[in-house]
Amino acid sequence: MSIVLKIISFLLAYICVLTVTAFGGMFSEKSGTVALSLEGSMTVGAFTAGIVMYLLPSSVPDGLSAVIVILTAIISSGLYSLLLALACITFKANQTLVGTALNILSTALAVVIIKQVTMTEALPVGNSRLSFMRFYEIFNFDLFGLQGVKFNWLVFIVLALIPILYVVIYKTRFGLRLSSCGENPASADSLGINVNKTRYIGVILAGLFAGFGGLLLITMNAEWEFANGASGFGYLALAVLIFGQWKPLYIFLGAFIFSLFKTLTIIYQQIDFLAVLGISSYFYLALPYVVCLIVLIFTSKKNVGPKALGEPYNKGKR
Amino acid sequence: MNKVKTFLSNLLKKDATKTIVTSLWCALLGLVLGFLILLLINAKDAAYGMTSVLGNYLIFSNPSDRLNYFGQTLAKTAPLLAMSLSILFSYKVGLFNLGGSGQYSIAVIIITLLGVGLNLPWWLVMIIAIIAASIWSMISGALKAFFNVNEVISGIMLNWIALYLTNGILTSTPSVWDSSHSEAFFIDSSSKSFIPSIGLDKLFAGNQIVGLGMILILVIVAVIFVLFKKTTIGYELKATGFNVEAANYAGINKVKNILIATAVSGALAGLAAVLNLQNGFTSWRLSSVTPEIGFQGISAAFLGGLHPIGVIFSSYFIVHITEGGSMITDLGFAPEVASIITSVIIYLSGFVAFFKEVMRKNEIKEEFNKMSRRKESQS
Repeated sequence: MSIVLKIISFLLAYICVLTVTAFGGMFSEKSGTVALSLEGSMTVGAFTAGIVMYLLPSSVPDGLSAVIVILTAIISSGLYSLLLALACITFKANQTLVGTALNILSTALAVVIIKQVTMTEALPVGNSRLSFMRFYEIFNFDLFGLQGVKFNWLVFIVLALIPILYVVIYKTRFGLRLSSCGENPASADSLGINVNKTRYIGVILAGLFAGFGGLLLITMNAEWEFANGASGFGYLALAVLIFGQWKPLYIFLGAFIFSLFKTLTIIYQQIDFLAVLGISSYFYLALPYVVCLIVLIFTSKKNVGPKALGEPYNKGKR
Repeated sequence: MNKVKTFLSNLLKKDATKTIVTSLWCALLGLVLGFLILLLINAKDAAYGMTSVLGNYLIFSNPSDRLNYFGQTLAKTAPLLAMSLSILFSYKVGLFNLGGSGQYSIAVIIITLLGVGLNLPWWLVMIIAIIAASIWSMISGALKAFFNVNEVISGIMLNWIALYLTNGILTSTPSVWDSSHSEAFFIDSSSKSFIPSIGLDKLFAGNQIVGLGMILILVIVAVIFVLFKKTTIGYELKATGFNVEAANYAGINKVKNILIATAVSGALAGLAAVLNLQNGFTSWRLSSVTPEIGFQGISAAFLGGLHPIGVIFSSYFIVHITEGGSMITDLGFAPEVASIITSVIIYLSGFVAFFKEVMRKNEIKEEFNKMSRRKESQS
């Protein structure tokens, strides 16, 4: 029984990490800016929250600490995504290039700053791994009192977001305006919508959501090696966004398929019939990515993405 | 004097000059930001730290040490140069090769199995490794050409698949895997798979990692330069990158060019692995993140203005400060400071197109002012 619950707890957490990050990417891409820097935003959210979790004295009450940590994660990655917005929207830079730069920068910053924080007399160069047992206890709770099965309550925030975002994207004026800037910015502009401002909002929202995703990812564990950044989850979220065809419900389904295989990599040794097969653990690690490629083959033929995705808006070309 | 002035102003109007000027600005700004970060971390040693980053081998007082490390920096430039050419080649055809790390890893598997395991001759190992990386890269190309899969996404997915494939294959082959250090065995200089040094080591105080590979990569730079500048096939490749629809209309085969571009860029990424491993400099370490060189190649390609000659200098610069960065750990700085500098530089190089545009607009304004002044003086 506990193995089933364990699978569910991992599955749920992974689904929510991918879903919330891909939702962020959806805001950015629907407004016309490629969300390649999701990985970087997740890393920034995760490492700033990690540092706060490491440094915050235990005299601060648990509830307040949790709020501080969540705010740190989303605000820092929101600010970080301003760098993307500035380069890609205002200065019309190549979006793939800038996204890649921000991904590398985030990991480098994380490692340099965390090594600085963990530096002591005995350990002069520091360590890029942080542990935060206290917050692991705060963010996770035991369900049914079973040993070793933990649920992260941040997942419920994500689950609540799904219907809300569906309404925001399809039913509100803001959502429709956002989509129009990614589909046909020239006509959006002619209707009096400020294209660049809307795109800034899209990119910043992507940062906020990805930061939350990063926090959820690291609090699934009691420690995290920041030299690995967000372990590629930002890239996975981007793939989920693409084969979810930029629609909230499909994104959730895409994240589900993906998380199933991701969970398998952690849990396969505890499932008797899989452990007997004796297949290398690296096979299971690679499996989610192989599945992702195969799904992409079937979903990419018809190009359903925002039409102006990746193109900076140039008023002169209207 | 006037002649010099007109020569200089003509020089400034050239596109190449603008690229060089803006690239230098990017590099300078990146260094300034890097220095500020060092100041924030440890103000006392920041100046010395920055000198080490910039000086690299120059901080050694012994001339033969200097030569030795200079040779090492040059030899480490070669793989990065190969990787940046890989990025450059696919970019000219309108594809962004984010899968360089994966192509590199696949070549690493071949080199380690055939070189360390079987001790085959170096050229045979090199050729097979390059072909393997090229085929791996063509997966991305075929997915793009036949199924319209975005090459950036498929490249990233293939990076992770290649990473686990490399970890899995190498760790389960005891004859090549040094499990006590969790890395593969090195190719040592007595091995047949070692790229011959052909006497070049004598120039660098006997540092044997300098060798034939460096000459090879320079030849490839020249070939790529000529290919894009002088040949029909190079022109067709560029046309596909410039406007797929128009190129298609002009009878240029899009599918063929995408496959060629991914095959060549994969081969170059594989060559990067050859130049990194077959001189006994590194070997594969068990890792949970994809090799950094694929992304460093992007920085070098863009900082070099996407020009085959430019990337020689940008690759050297990036290796120079990365090597320098590895020397500052005993000051309490993390060596990743160099990584911050390079990523800030790539970020800034995104602005290059914008600044070039500004420079061009200023010129037009100047011309216009000149013309109107001339008109005034005539009337």
